[in-house]
Amino acid sequence: MSTPVQERSIPAPVAAPTYAPEDAGAHPTGQVIGQVLPIYFVGDESHSMRGDPVAAVNHGLVELRDEVAKHPLIGKKVRFGIITFADTAETRLELSELSENLVLPTLSTRGRGTSYSSAFEALRHAIPADIALLKVSGFQVHRPVVFFLSDGQPTERESKWQERLSELKDPAFKERPNILAFGVGDADPKVIQQLASSNMHAFMMREGVSTAGAIAEFAASMLNSMVSSAERLDRGEQTLEFEKPEGFVQLDAPLV
Amino acid sequence: MTEADPQLDTETAGREQTVAVAPPPPAHARAIRRRTRLARGPLTIGEPAAAVDARLAAAEPYRPDTVADGGDAFGLTVRAASVRGLYKRHLGGPRQDDLCLRPHPPTRSLIAAVADGVSAATRSDLAAALAVRHAAASVDRQLERGAVEVDWPEVFHHAAWALVEEQRRSDGDAHAGVAETAASLATTLTVAVISPADESGSEAQDEAGEASRSDPARFRVQVAAVGDSPAYVLVEGRFKSVLEDAPSVDGLIGGGTRALPRHASAVDHATCTLEAGGTFLICSDGLALPLADGTGDVGHTLTRELANPPDIVDFARLLDFSRATYDDDRTLIAVWPGQRR
Repeated sequence: MSTPVQERSIPAPVAAPTYAPEDAGAHPTGQVIGQVLPIYFVGDESHSMRGDPVAAVNHGLVELRDEVAKHPLIGKKVRFGIITFADTAETRLELSELSENLVLPTLSTRGRGTSYSSAFEALRHAIPADIALLKVSGFQVHRPVVFFLSDGQPTERESKWQERLSELKDPAFKERPNILAFGVGDADPKVIQQLASSNMHAFMMREGVSTAGAIAEFAASMLNSMVSSAERLDRGEQTLEFEKPEGFVQLDAPLV
Repeated sequence: MTEADPQLDTETAGREQTVAVAPPPPAHARAIRRRTRLARGPLTIGEPAAAVDARLAAAEPYRPDTVADGGDAFGLTVRAASVRGLYKRHLGGPRQDDLCLRPHPPTRSLIAAVADGVSAATRSDLAAALAVRHAAASVDRQLERGAVEVDWPEVFHHAAWALVEEQRRSDGDAHAGVAETAASLATTLTVAVISPADESGSEAQDEAGEASRSDPARFRVQVAAVGDSPAYVLVEGRFKSVLEDAPSVDGLIGGGTRALPRHASAVDHATCTLEAGGTFLICSDGLALPLADGTGDVGHTLTRELANPPDIVDFARLLDFSRATYDDDRTLIAVWPGQRR
């Protein structure tokens, strides 16, 4: 005899019936509690970002937090982390759920160098550890996404950052992220193009646009991408959802 | 008023007492009055998803939010539902999953199909609807002409061809091919035919042996898929995959899926036996993902609630459970052998 579902509830019949897990807390093998998309913002804190550009980054991050937090479905599916670089890389925000009361770091310029290699190294270490932690907590994890923003050229040997970059993009690195790269200010389009996982995902600020204005557009696009990519998570499609921000050109044609 | 007992509308009961001069209502009328209050809101499994206001979907042709179906046929009991995911409800997009049930009385067989439209394609809701119907019709035609072993490549090519034809019709391009079609009409497809074990092929008869040929509760299931909509046999709380599991790429989820019309030849197929105590399931990945290997809360809930066939609408309600971060369309067909109540 079948048991009608509503009969197994519940003192107040208008309330939603809840299935209490029979072995809550035991977390049996294979228990999954949700699916998440890890997203990292990797931003330039070198001296040249001083003033309006770094303020635009900070403003953009606050907007992003607020928009994601108030979205009914995206907030739970996205985990957001911030890594910055100048002479060295620093993890400014551990991978976190974007809730209203999440305290964001305020980025400020530091140092004169622009070490891409330190940023790549930090990602290479953070990503596997973060994913392992999510999995242990019971989450199914999607391939992580990195939004990389720089306003300058690396101030280190090319071979050094190239080597760290190839470690990050190595197909043998299981958790290798999808990288979207954005160049503003004095960034070198040829370098930016190399960073991105795909030619479709490299963007350079258009000439005549202010750096701060371009960063604001970048932040808005990062938010849109987060929302539309998270929307498609379940379907399991590989394509990362991203539309070119206003004020940028897509570097998908060979540069001469 | 407080509702302490969901089985009894206390207000109605009180009113009956005040009209003592009237003759007592006939038994069937009393049964109608003693209706249960509707339980509102979704069933939740673990942490609930946020409540969203569902926007009516604008789609051509019409796509209802939820499809619920079921019934008995040839000693089988079937329940089927397809529900729109929270995300599409939030955005007002159409349900991109679909299902089809088709009995074939001459062979006492049940044909069942599930499709999950690829959302990158613009009209994948229609693709799913076409694929399940054309695939079921194709299997039906094979059974009509006496086939015992289903020719799966033919079935999937018919379904894929239906997508190409729709593309040609709607686009006015008589030469549209697979590439043009895949951009607008793309879907996974899983199809099964469940037949009495004694009327199936020699292989099954060998397995079954003389004694069980007359067993009315023993069935042979042929199932095939393009893409990641899985089939399981649920026995004693274990969800046994009938088809090859979709590989997990690098231990991460979301690695893309095969789909019609592009991968019409990449058919994965298998057979299994369905007998008392087992339930045959086909679902879309909107359910398969939270179900995972079936050992978690979702698996436990399904095991408990599907121990016997629920009412048709309850089955849809079960499938529409709320669980944080799982907001895709969900489709499930469940088949029980033997006469049930």
